Amino acid sequence: MTLLRLLLEVLSAQYGARLRTFIRLEVIAAALGGIAFVLIVPTLDALLREDTGEALTWLLIALAVVVAYAVVGYRAKALGYEVGSTVSRGLHRRIGHQVVRLPLGWFDGTRQGPMGQLASKGVVDVMGVPAHLARALIVAVVTPGTLVIGMFFFDWRLALAALLTLPMLVLTAQITGALVKKADARLHAARSEANSRIIEFSTHQPVLRAFGRSVEGDERLDDALVEQRDASRNLLVTVVPGMTGFIAAIQIAFGVVFVIGTNLALGGDVGVAELVALLVLTVRFVEPLIVAADLMGALRLAESSLGRMAELLAEPTLPEPTDPVLPVSSEIEFRDVTFGYETDRPILTGVDLRAQPGTVTALVGVSGSGKTTITRLIARFWDVDHGSVRIGGADVRELTTETLMNQLSLVFQDVYLFDGTILENIRLGRTGATDDEVIAAGRAARVDEIVERLPHGWQTQVGEGGTNLSGGERQRVSIARAILKDAPIVLLDEATAALDPANEVLVTQALRALSADKTVIVIAHRLQTVRHADQILVLGDGEIRERGTHEELVDLAGGRYAAFWERREAAQGWRLAATGESV
Amino acid sequence: MAEDDAATVDVANDVGDEIEPIPVGQIMSSVRTPLLIACVLRAISAVAMIFPFLAVARVGEDLLADGPVDEDAVWGSVWFGIGGLVVAMATMLGAAAITHFADVHFQLEIRRRMAQRLGRVPLGWFDARTSGQVKKSLQDDVGAMHHLVGHAAVDTVAAAVTPIASIIVLLAIDWRLALFTFVPVITGVFLYARMMSGYAERMREYQDSLGRVNSAVVEFLAGIAVVKTFGEADRAHQRYTEETEGFADTFFEWVSGMLRISNLTELILSPIASVMWVMSGSLLFVERGWIEPTEALPFLLLGAGITAPINALGFAAQELQTGLAAAGRIGALLATPTLEEAGDHRSPEGHGVRFSGVSFGYETGARDALTDIDLELAPGTVTALVGPSGSGKTTIARLVPRFWDPREGTVSIGGADVREIDPRELYRTVGFVFQDVQLIRASIAENVRLGRPDASMDEVVRATQLARIHDRILELPDGYDTVVGDGAHLSGGEAQRVSIARLVLADTPVLVLDEATAYADPESEAEIQEALSELAVGRTLLVIAHRLGTIVNAHQICVVRDGQIVDRGTHDELMSGSATYQRLWAAQDTGVVEGAS
Repeated sequence: MTLLRLLLEVLSAQYGARLRTFIRLEVIAAALGGIAFVLIVPTLDALLREDTGEALTWLLIALAVVVAYAVVGYRAKALGYEVGSTVSRGLHRRIGHQVVRLPLGWFDGTRQGPMGQLASKGVVDVMGVPAHLARALIVAVVTPGTLVIGMFFFDWRLALAALLTLPMLVLTAQITGALVKKADARLHAARSEANSRIIEFSTHQPVLRAFGRSVEGDERLDDALVEQRDASRNLLVTVVPGMTGFIAAIQIAFGVVFVIGTNLALGGDVGVAELVALLVLTVRFVEPLIVAADLMGALRLAESSLGRMAELLAEPTLPEPTDPVLPVSSEIEFRDVTFGYETDRPILTGVDLRAQPGTVTALVGVSGSGKTTITRLIARFWDVDHGSVRIGGADVRELTTETLMNQLSLVFQDVYLFDGTILENIRLGRTGATDDEVIAAGRAARVDEIVERLPHGWQTQVGEGGTNLSGGERQRVSIARAILKDAPIVLLDEATAALDPANEVLVTQALRALSADKTVIVIAHRLQTVRHADQILVLGDGEIRERGTHEELVDLAGGRYAAFWERREAAQGWRLAATGESV
Repeated sequence: MAEDDAATVDVANDVGDEIEPIPVGQIMSSVRTPLLIACVLRAISAVAMIFPFLAVARVGEDLLADGPVDEDAVWGSVWFGIGGLVVAMATMLGAAAITHFADVHFQLEIRRRMAQRLGRVPLGWFDARTSGQVKKSLQDDVGAMHHLVGHAAVDTVAAAVTPIASIIVLLAIDWRLALFTFVPVITGVFLYARMMSGYAERMREYQDSLGRVNSAVVEFLAGIAVVKTFGEADRAHQRYTEETEGFADTFFEWVSGMLRISNLTELILSPIASVMWVMSGSLLFVERGWIEPTEALPFLLLGAGITAPINALGFAAQELQTGLAAAGRIGALLATPTLEEAGDHRSPEGHGVRFSGVSFGYETGARDALTDIDLELAPGTVTALVGPSGSGKTTIARLVPRFWDPREGTVSIGGADVREIDPRELYRTVGFVFQDVQLIRASIAENVRLGRPDASMDEVVRATQLARIHDRILELPDGYDTVVGDGAHLSGGEAQRVSIARLVLADTPVLVLDEATAYADPESEAEIQEALSELAVGRTLLVIAHRLGTIVNAHQICVVRDGQIVDRGTHDELMSGSATYQRLWAAQDTGVVEGAS
């Protein structure tokens, strides 16, 4: 069973041993259950002969087996729950451990949904295997097996007749399995399409409505919903013959045993007790198989969740250096760096750059030109494909994560605040900081201006992800954090989103406080920032096309920077005309 | 996002909580008939299922009877039993097919109903929810109702009819042994009921714990960069660890607290225990001479089967709870108040917009976001709204295209209250550009044509040229036929210009514009500005302004503060007459922000 192998693979050895014990207990319990059923035959036989003494003996033996079955079953179930919660613990721990060690670049913003699912519902699916599913599945295999063996003891012909159902069940399962797979794929596709149309319907409601699509019905959504209905119906139509086959197999087994048994009984070859008991056994023989068939869906879910966990755990983590070194300064250097997110599509090719300690380097270029990639390589979100990224003379790959991170303050656009107070969020910058130090950093980043307006001041809760604050306010909190950390290098991605004038000015003040005397690499959107940079790097198609100061670049005839500057300057002076005519 | 939007974040779910949800019965009214038929079939199946067991018992009795065996009678019983089996299986299959096909149609119907409802709720409703939540309602919740339609009713019928039919038959044979046979069933049901008391509450605890795991993971991932760069991996990890350990504990406590009772219940209701019980009783009764040995046969055969459907119900308890909870949420969604629609529609006469005495609050009872707004936009003029974050600029602008309706006062276009204008006509009159770009997954041409599906290709091209995006579209792999999202990778500014082209083509005489749209993508700021300037030509324009310089030429500038218009006039008038306006300029120029709050 792939499921079991995966489960053992994902769980560490100590949990694995428990899992094995649990399975052993369940197998024993299922076998005992089967034996108890088989013991009905001699009991009933004695009873029908009115030999109550013998019947009582058999009954007591059977009862003893049932008691053993109950005790082992109870132990197994208790252990199953324990293993279930252990599986939950173990999987969560391993997921958490892995997440911390993955390169930052792995977290590209699309991970939260699926990972949240995997760590909550996915773990529950897997946990259900020992806690709920395993018993039914083991019973489905072991109990009928025991019954058939038992039946052979009494009459091989009837046992064989009962056994006939098995190939029929397997055959129907296989035939329908292939058909269902196809129908399932269609339904899956239809569901994904409907999902994305619903999301579009929801996020694009204003535009759909603005153009009358919600009043008259959004035909794209409706088409997707209808296709989902058709695909579901198609799946049902495919499943029905399979179900019929399954049920027919059970009927046929019962019918065949009944007819052959009656025939044999009439000829005196089989006792009535055997016949009756064997018919009861036939029903019991098939029942667990049906239950198991029902659980196959849940099992598949668990299997695919486990598969995704195994994938996650197999993601390569960033190697830590064996002989870590320390940077001697805060100088940043790229030596012939080539890097791409996909192997055949480099984002940067042969980039050389040097940023002196205490200077500001501005990165300029169209979207997709590689500005963000440069800052991310410095923070080792990814490792370069070729060349090296150096800080203070040391390759970032030779620094421990801790040393590297101590050198850097990252202020990116998507600011994330933890659910806690403003003070706590700033303190993240340096855990040991005193309240005074934290507040001083907050003042420098102009968080004091926010705090004054809030009822609980520095103790105000920011909400999950910082939703109680506006974009500009969140940014200032994250800058305060960086100020408190006081790392020698600042990597900065200026906000593109429009801030109102007041916020914009305050953010500028905060950034000024942060950048003083630091080595700053900034993805610049504000013209002021670009103009005052010590060095401007103009990126294009993964290479540095122009470099120099504003004065050096702005008059370069036909230069990229000159064109950029001109357009941006023009945009600054934009006026919506009152006459209703374009400017 | 516009800073003003922060005010709308809190709207969340409370709007929906005050209304009476539509009851489950009413949601499922369309499947009542098929469910009824399926239940009847399932009842027939449960009764017919007894026949084969009776037949086996009869065959046994006949074979053991004194004297020669009546072979014809024996074979008669055999075929009677097999016939019963065929009927039982066929009706069961029929019932399952009916409910499942009914469910497939029901799901489409309910999803359509939900989509139609959501198409008429205030647009602001969507602001308070994520698209993920909407998807969850329409897909997952409707999917979770499958158990209610497909299984719950028929399973309950089976669980009730099987034991009842069995006991009637058995009572007729020997009432004492019949009562004895039913002891485990009654005990089992009693234990089961005890086990289920408090189940819903424990289930909720369990779900809450699971929800906390989910949000801890999301927080863990969303904040991972912060966590790592500040060397705080352990700390953020800590909340994740706490929640996941807590979840494992909650689960373990729950199941192990119920371990004894659930095991006992399961054992008592298990076929093997039932058989053993009946066997013991039969032995006793035969020993005492109360029954003939052959009379024990029907008890043994039926006794083993009566508990199975009850067990099945037990297994389904969780799905039933989940289904009912989902139905509750669907009921609430279907009861969401929609925007009022006037019986008699009025058409706007002219393109002026007027706010008269408008007050509005996002939540009933909460502080008003807008108080007593009076504002007139003469046709073809530009009106700008300026003011600090959260002052209400965006809220004012959103009342024109009816994102919400005012609590008091009216918003009218061309003399007609927006609530009285046919929604189709309203949206042909008012266009709006906000910061979030809204391209649907369809070809570029279809996206531009959204407002006027019959527009010719020439008209489309003229619109995209005006919106400064035509050349870029031609560079795409399939030009105008490129499907957005599949083949086209448009930057934010490019997507913005496609949506502006759409508005150019739709040609609405009134336009609401968030000026910050222009700064969505610094790389193409100038192009977006040109496109917006083209779009604005000759329309009645209401602008939410961020950069004051942009709107100095407006016919009318309204200074908004704390949900009120405190000053209004032209730029020159306000520069000399409005302290607040002067302060806004000062803040923009120097960073002094006194009075901005």
